[in-house]
Amino acid sequence: MRRQPAKPRATAAVDEVGLRLRAIAVTGAVSLAFLAVGAQLVRLAAVNSGVILQSNISEPVAQSFSRPDLVDRNGRLFATDVENPSLFADPAVIIDRDEVVEKLTKILPELNGRDLRRDLSDRSKRFVWIKRQIAPQLAQRIHDLGLPGLAFRTELKRAYPLARLAGHVLGAVNVDNRGVSGMERYLDDSASVEAVHGATLSERAPVRLSLDVGVQHSLVEELQDATKRYKAESATGVVMDVNTGEVLASASLPEPDPRLGSAADTQQTDRITGGTYELGSIFKVLTVAQSLDAGLSTLDTIYDVRQPLVEGRFTIKDLHPLGRPASVRDIFLHSSNVGAAMIALKSGGEQQKAFLGKLGLLDQGRTQAGPIAMPQVPKRWERIEQITIAYGHGLAVAPLQFAAAAAALVNGGELVKPTFLRGHGDGAKTRVVSAETSRQIGDLMRLNVTDPAGTGKRADVPGYRVGGKTGTAEMAAAGGYAKKSVISSFVAAFPMEKPQYVVMVMIFKPQGTDETRNEITAGHNAAPTAGRIIARVAPLLGVMPEPVQAASGATQATIATPN
Amino acid sequence: MRFITTTSIFLALSSAFLLYGLNYDTRQLEARVAQEELAVAKARSDIAVLKAERAYLTRPERIEPLARAQGLAAATDKQFARDIPMIVGSVSK
Repeated sequence: MRRQPAKPRATAAVDEVGLRLRAIAVTGAVSLAFLAVGAQLVRLAAVNSGVILQSNISEPVAQSFSRPDLVDRNGRLFATDVENPSLFADPAVIIDRDEVVEKLTKILPELNGRDLRRDLSDRSKRFVWIKRQIAPQLAQRIHDLGLPGLAFRTELKRAYPLARLAGHVLGAVNVDNRGVSGMERYLDDSASVEAVHGATLSERAPVRLSLDVGVQHSLVEELQDATKRYKAESATGVVMDVNTGEVLASASLPEPDPRLGSAADTQQTDRITGGTYELGSIFKVLTVAQSLDAGLSTLDTIYDVRQPLVEGRFTIKDLHPLGRPASVRDIFLHSSNVGAAMIALKSGGEQQKAFLGKLGLLDQGRTQAGPIAMPQVPKRWERIEQITIAYGHGLAVAPLQFAAAAAALVNGGELVKPTFLRGHGDGAKTRVVSAETSRQIGDLMRLNVTDPAGTGKRADVPGYRVGGKTGTAEMAAAGGYAKKSVISSFVAAFPMEKPQYVVMVMIFKPQGTDETRNEITAGHNAAPTAGRIIARVAPLLGVMPEPVQAASGATQATIATPN
Repeated sequence: MRFITTTSIFLALSSAFLLYGLNYDTRQLEARVAQEELAVAKARSDIAVLKAERAYLTRPERIEPLARAQGLAAATDKQFARDIPMIVGSVSK
């Protein structure tokens, strides 16, 4: 109708077209804006499913500690942190207190209902721990109850996948994940434990212990076997690298369970580091070494051991008197108390004391896991002390310290410090005996195993060149010594042409059995135990067995046969 | 004059849209970062659990009987030849 506008109204028509265009432009712009807003709304509704909200849930502030892993010398895991739910309540939000108490005690029977009711009745509190570190399955069941006012917080919990293995060395942590003993305590002291909020796993590199999982396991198994076999009260053992002092395995039965936390701490003492013992005849290794090193005796020096030694009201006798004058070598092989006493008397008390002091046996030692038990040193050091200490009575030391001293005697004569960390045993060494003395002691120990008369012959392992010395010490009892209660011990080293490892075994209160022909001396129980341990751990430690000598003629013949 | 006004209106509008869009993109990115961080934390936690479980499964207490059942045992001197020529010789025969 308006297609043919009248000429006079031309300007008005132009205005009208302009207005229309403007109206369209404005409408377009506005609807475009609304469209953009709408699209953005759709996008927000569809894409973002509340992720932004999630991070705003406020967590109750509580500290936890993240710890680096503990691994063995080859990187196998001993201890690690895992996240674990802990249950807490907000009493102000709880609706039906009785229902909460009833249902929770059903799922967690170890909770005390009365205490729980009391804790939850204080509505001014906004945060009450109910149970920390519960199993994820139980946490799920509690979550499924759908009770208001109950919530979870993840915390770090120490996990020990190998259970009791090396429990004494590892130590334990408390519920806040702080170390309370052993190497766990060391982690706290060396500042590699961090305080964190919530459950943040540690990013620090794992701490590498000197222990070897395989060696430790073999040691524990053989010691358990020995306690059964010899009807003993307990057994302990330690395997040490003679050159670095690194402890590859250390066990004192029974091993504590680190998973029990602080409760495990006082459960069983570690006899390797926490107890001191009169070790008996294995001390003769030291007595002989001292005399050889001071040049007071050679292996062939003769001592008259026919008569018992009388000193004041004491008489020192041998269990099986030799009945003839004996060389130092014979005294060692037959483990003559009289002979050892005479060797010690020849050098005198001052020198004896100085020598033991040089080996660190008179002072308190320390490892990363804490102090070693203080040696019990006699107050006076008269002739009688010289005599008894010569064969290992009157001076009580921790087995770990003795093992370190034995390592020093066979490694070429340099002092080592026992350590539970890998790669910590290097550094400047102090010489305690000459290389020549060290070699002679090594030969004596080897001879004690190979010689048919030697007390250690049951410790031999074909191919692994074991050497060692036995010791049977009567246990101190009220008013003297108990004849039937002994600690039988064996200190061994292998391979003897260049010793790499020291193995020390102690069996507490062994009894005579058919297998030992009713004997309770170390040669019948501790020595074969040490042998079995070495047979199992030597391959793990990469010690090459030497094939038992084949007839050399045959070898020559095969060389000649090719072609 | 009119040109300047239109251009500036256009510029103002477009920059408003741009900012609006940028703002939301940033928030979205933040949300994604939070999400990824959560995933990382979850993965780390899973790794910790798996590590512990692997150590539990390879504990010597469990492996030993299995190995023994396979007929494996500690090496003894009997597994080692005295020297190489002996083996070479016996093989070449």
